[in-house]
Amino acid sequence: MTTALASKRHVVADISLAMELCYERGWTDGLPVVPPTEPAVRAMLAAAELEPDHQIAFITNRQVAVTAEKVAINAVMAGCLPEYMPIVVSAVEGIAEPVWGYHGPATSTGGAAVFMIINGPIGPRLGFNCEDNLFGPGWRANATVGRAVRLVMRNVIGTLPGLLDRGTIGNPGKYTYVIAENEAESPWTPLHVERGFAAGESTVTVMSAEGPRQFYNQLSSTPEGILKTLCDDMRHHNSTGGQPQYVVVLAGEHMRTIAAGGWSKSDIRKYVFDNTQVSIAHFKRTERLPGSVTPQDETTYKSLLAEPEDVLVVAAGGRAGAFSCYIPGWAGGRRSSRSVTKLIRERRA
Amino acid sequence: MTPIEILDPTVEPRRQPLTFVARPDSLKGKRVGLVENTKFNSDRLLHRIGEILINDYGAAECRMWRKHNASVPAHAEILEEAKRTVDVVVAGIGD
Repeated sequence: MTTALASKRHVVADISLAMELCYERGWTDGLPVVPPTEPAVRAMLAAAELEPDHQIAFITNRQVAVTAEKVAINAVMAGCLPEYMPIVVSAVEGIAEPVWGYHGPATSTGGAAVFMIINGPIGPRLGFNCEDNLFGPGWRANATVGRAVRLVMRNVIGTLPGLLDRGTIGNPGKYTYVIAENEAESPWTPLHVERGFAAGESTVTVMSAEGPRQFYNQLSSTPEGILKTLCDDMRHHNSTGGQPQYVVVLAGEHMRTIAAGGWSKSDIRKYVFDNTQVSIAHFKRTERLPGSVTPQDETTYKSLLAEPEDVLVVAAGGRAGAFSCYIPGWAGGRRSSRSVTKLIRERRA
Repeated sequence: MTPIEILDPTVEPRRQPLTFVARPDSLKGKRVGLVENTKFNSDRLLHRIGEILINDYGAAECRMWRKHNASVPAHAEILEEAKRTVDVVVAGIGD
């Protein structure tokens, strides 16, 4: 027997009025949405093999149960194909994990978005972009999966900009912020394997995050040279506050140069950890700490990271161009919000 | 044109009753706990509030706890100690 859908229904004369109704009710992110009809929502649920009343997450501070039905409705609205539904489900499970700490990144003036990294065979199979224009528009999977999660946050959990989402300047990643790791060309262990999953499994890693910071180095032909430039930029981020976790995304040219030097992801993490400290004197000179500079301040340093594992290294981006980037996480301390990697269950058996 | 039926993507938050402890009639002789949220100057503001509660309202003493960070509730150790050692608590979200 098919379980009935519990959601309230709205009837309008045609599809354009349905799209306008979604605007009038405040259900969109500002872009038009696909009207969520029952057949489309049913197809979404079927693809994830979920009953509509299945609880995917419970957001404690909002006392909201996120059901499969509501996730499916918002995934339809975002423009997802049904086969994307298991990824959206896993991402929602991830942001509901206690260590992700939903309340902080969802509401903070700091303006975090939900950054997602897709690993495993599902990335190429569903067409997630991991190459040119990594963060740019044009790929349905990247565009709609992130959008679906944000619509769930908005419509189900009540994370409304200006009310419970108080980001001061916000973040364009709040529309969508999804990449895949380029495992086919990467010389390194994929992120999900480093985090304990099998290479043949697919995962989504969710991290509360600021926008990407691009850096440029066309000069150096050594790992140290490229990473020296990266760390110079990251020291600047340390001096403006720092975050508990970072993602470093290394694109084609930089990836090949660093790999040719024989460096692993672990070597990269250690180098970043060792080379991103900033002196207390610098914090005081730039009005980020109170008080006058003492001689001791010149030789006392603040580390950017608590440990090298707080850097997630991902191989992705275009083959050409001497650019890569780093992505700061969000929060004032390690207990605020930690990235979470969730298995994508395509078949629930 | 064919009418179209769409499903509502929103939910209502679950309603639950919240019970508050009765407020004391007076702070005279009461032990006051201050919960600091780690933001700049929140400790200074709470110290000043504590002084006012002692000097102007007759509170017996004040003590302060510091949360792990501003975006999380006071952790269990704070709640346990507060239950044992103070009569009232002042907390707030400062930024």
